[in-house]
Amino acid sequence: MMETIWTHEDNTQLEAILDLLIPANIERGIPGAGEARVASYLSVVASRNAKFAGQVRTLLASVSGTIHDITPEKMHQLETTVPDAFRALLTETYKGYYSRPDMRAHVGVGIHPVHPNGYAVLPEDPALLDELTAPVRARGTVFRDPTAKETG
Amino acid sequence: MPNEPVDVLIVGAGASGAAIAWSLLDTRMRILCLEQGGHLHDKDFPSRREDYELARYGEFSCDPNVRGLPQDYPINVDDSCITPVNWNGVGGSTINFLGHWPRMKPSDFRTKSLDGVGADWPISYHDLAPFYDMNDANTGISGLAHNPAYPDYTPPLPPIPMGILGQTLAKGFNAKGWHWWPSDVAILSRDHNGRQKCVNAGTCDLGCAAGAKGGTNFTYWPILENAGVELRTNARVREILVDPDSGFATGVLYHGPDGQVHEQRAELVILACNGVGTPRLLLNSTSALFPDGLANRSGQVGRNLMFHPLTGVAGVFDEPMRGHEGPMACSILSQEFYESDPSRGFVRGYGLHSGRSTTPMTYALGGYGIDNPIPWGAQHRDIMDNVYPYLAGLTVVSEDLPEEHNRVTLDPNLTDSDGIPAPKISYRLGDNTRAMLKHGEERAREVLLAAGAKRILQKGDDKVWWRAGWHQMGTCRMGDDPETSVVNGWGRSHDVKNLFIVDGSIFATSGAVNPTSTIQALALFIGDRIKTNIANLFD
Ligand SMILES: Cc1cc2nc3c(=O)[nH]c(=O)nc-3n(C[C@H](O)[C@H](O)[C@H](O)COP(=O)(O)OP(=O)(O)OC[C@H]3O[C@@H](n4cnc5c(N)ncnc54)[C@H](O)[C@@H]3O)c2cc1C
Ligand code: SF4
Repeated sequence: MMETIWTHEDNTQLEAILDLLIPANIERGIPGAGEARVASYLSVVASRNAKFAGQVRTLLASVSGTIHDITPEKMHQLETTVPDAFRALLTETYKGYYSRPDMRAHVGVGIHPVHPNGYAVLPEDPALLDELTAPVRARGTVFRDPTAKETG
Repeated sequence: MPNEPVDVLIVGAGASGAAIAWSLLDTRMRILCLEQGGHLHDKDFPSRREDYELARYGEFSCDPNVRGLPQDYPINVDDSCITPVNWNGVGGSTINFLGHWPRMKPSDFRTKSLDGVGADWPISYHDLAPFYDMNDANTGISGLAHNPAYPDYTPPLPPIPMGILGQTLAKGFNAKGWHWWPSDVAILSRDHNGRQKCVNAGTCDLGCAAGAKGGTNFTYWPILENAGVELRTNARVREILVDPDSGFATGVLYHGPDGQVHEQRAELVILACNGVGTPRLLLNSTSALFPDGLANRSGQVGRNLMFHPLTGVAGVFDEPMRGHEGPMACSILSQEFYESDPSRGFVRGYGLHSGRSTTPMTYALGGYGIDNPIPWGAQHRDIMDNVYPYLAGLTVVSEDLPEEHNRVTLDPNLTDSDGIPAPKISYRLGDNTRAMLKHGEERAREVLLAAGAKRILQKGDDKVWWRAGWHQMGTCRMGDDPETSVVNGWGRSHDVKNLFIVDGSIFATSGAVNPTSTIQALALFIGDRIKTNIANLFD
């Protein structure tokens, strides 16, 4: 099991919350944020940021009960009763989830660090550029030049 | 103990500081540049890490208040709807800029006489044109020649790829019969001058690990340091010194890397600290001769702050738009609504920029420059799986008019890590800008639909992007009249004859285009005037 700054129970609850914030797409085999172990990322953030650690504790205290009590309705309630803590958790959850290269790949973005290889994008064929810009060129100039004569 | 005096002292090693140093190289004067930050080392580029997006919210945030690095200074933004963003280090904000490179237009230099607003510049587009060309060659600009929105010029390199996103939007503009053109960019479409071409990584705000983006850390500084320009890093200038008898600048006091305050004397002082840093330094330089700040007899230092307020509209298409592939800022630019047309209900105009889409984390957190996470729950899944990959957007980039109440002052309490008073921004959107943004949003919507968008995503409020104070202009404006401007038509202070300003603070108006091409052309122009007038420079 991963190391976190929270108890096992806290962690189970947190994962249930995370799976509600970013749910899985089962058909496409994309895990939710709980299953994707975003809690371990949050634990690192909380260990460096006491304010955030306190906000997570506030949220966990507000959902005390079993994980069955963690429902979308409960989340909507927290969004209004503890808005700052909820927003902080949401922000860090998005950061933790999408900093995983495999989650990026699920939405069509490269799994690799973008340097040195980047992406292969071919330059447009000059004939295509010519064709696309033809109507723009045909209209002629679209600017005012009040100083053209001053300088000849 | 004072250091050995130099001929030319430049404060700030960003876009303008580097360009003016290059221009003055052939004078063989002894040039020193003091820069509060350091060099960005190869190991520091986050885009080589797997979790590269995280850097955008930490050490590589464009917002100095978020980064909070020792070389950064905090900015009080409580009274502003836009927060200024920057980079403090060798290269300045060209480290994290996006490389979009449009020129200003002839009419931008004559807004007062043409449209009755703003101020006419003491110089014209045609005065700057040769310096735009010179700077384009030095920087390595890619673009397509014969853009009908400008007097004719030819970028030195062919355009970068537009990609499917740019092509799709171009067809939309053609369907409407509106102007568009592949963007000019300070990004290499080919290997050039020993630098590598762009690899379409899409993270230009995180520095450019390929060296393809025209940051002055890759363009001017290697040449300058080879040529003997001294660049002293981690050197933060706290005050410009003035001789009480002659009223001339004698040099500066700066905090060195040793934590001590040093004096540096110079014949000529040139400020290149950007539109917030320069007025801050002048306002911090008070004396019996200049009790309200150096070079501020007009009371204009810090006033007329202009950003380019932005908003965006996106369309959802049937095909993936692959918006994360390719330089972030620029694919195509429409200037159909750039010039004034009184029938629109506002003066001056705006550009429609096709920024490429951003990476997933940034999109989920609200987009680049915005802090507003997208919905959570089932909606989140749906947006990321079925909307995000299919997005193409347009950004409305509006001209900001100079208004005296939009300004930089000194915060009475906030300081940087050396105890130097920090700037405070007071800024609100003008009615003209609001009208322009609203008009732009509607036109963006029309063109996206014409391009085949199946759905339009629009914010539905009148808020502008928060972290979008990328362009900081007007706070030490140029003009012929010392009562209403800070510097003359070649960047020399009206009040202090051996003090020059070369950054975006000297813009008289903002245009509606990204400013760096013009900032650097102006710096080269000012360098040229200094050389031409060298015999009687201080008369
Ligand atoms: C995220 C982002 C995206 C951008 N995208 C674009 C774009 O696509 N196109 C475009 O044209 N522009 C863009 N810009 C703006 C562009 O970067 C600036 O217009 C340009 O860099 C300004 O040049 P400058 O010389 O005025 O200031 P800078 O390049 O910011 O340089 C100022 C330098 O002065 C130093 N300095 C300040 N005060 C002191 C002091 N007291 N002592 C010592 N050193 C000091 C700073 O550390 C800094 O290095 C962008 C900016 C950002 C932040
Ligand atoms: S997209 Fe091109 S310019 Fe931007 S960071 Fe990558 S290589 Fe550099």
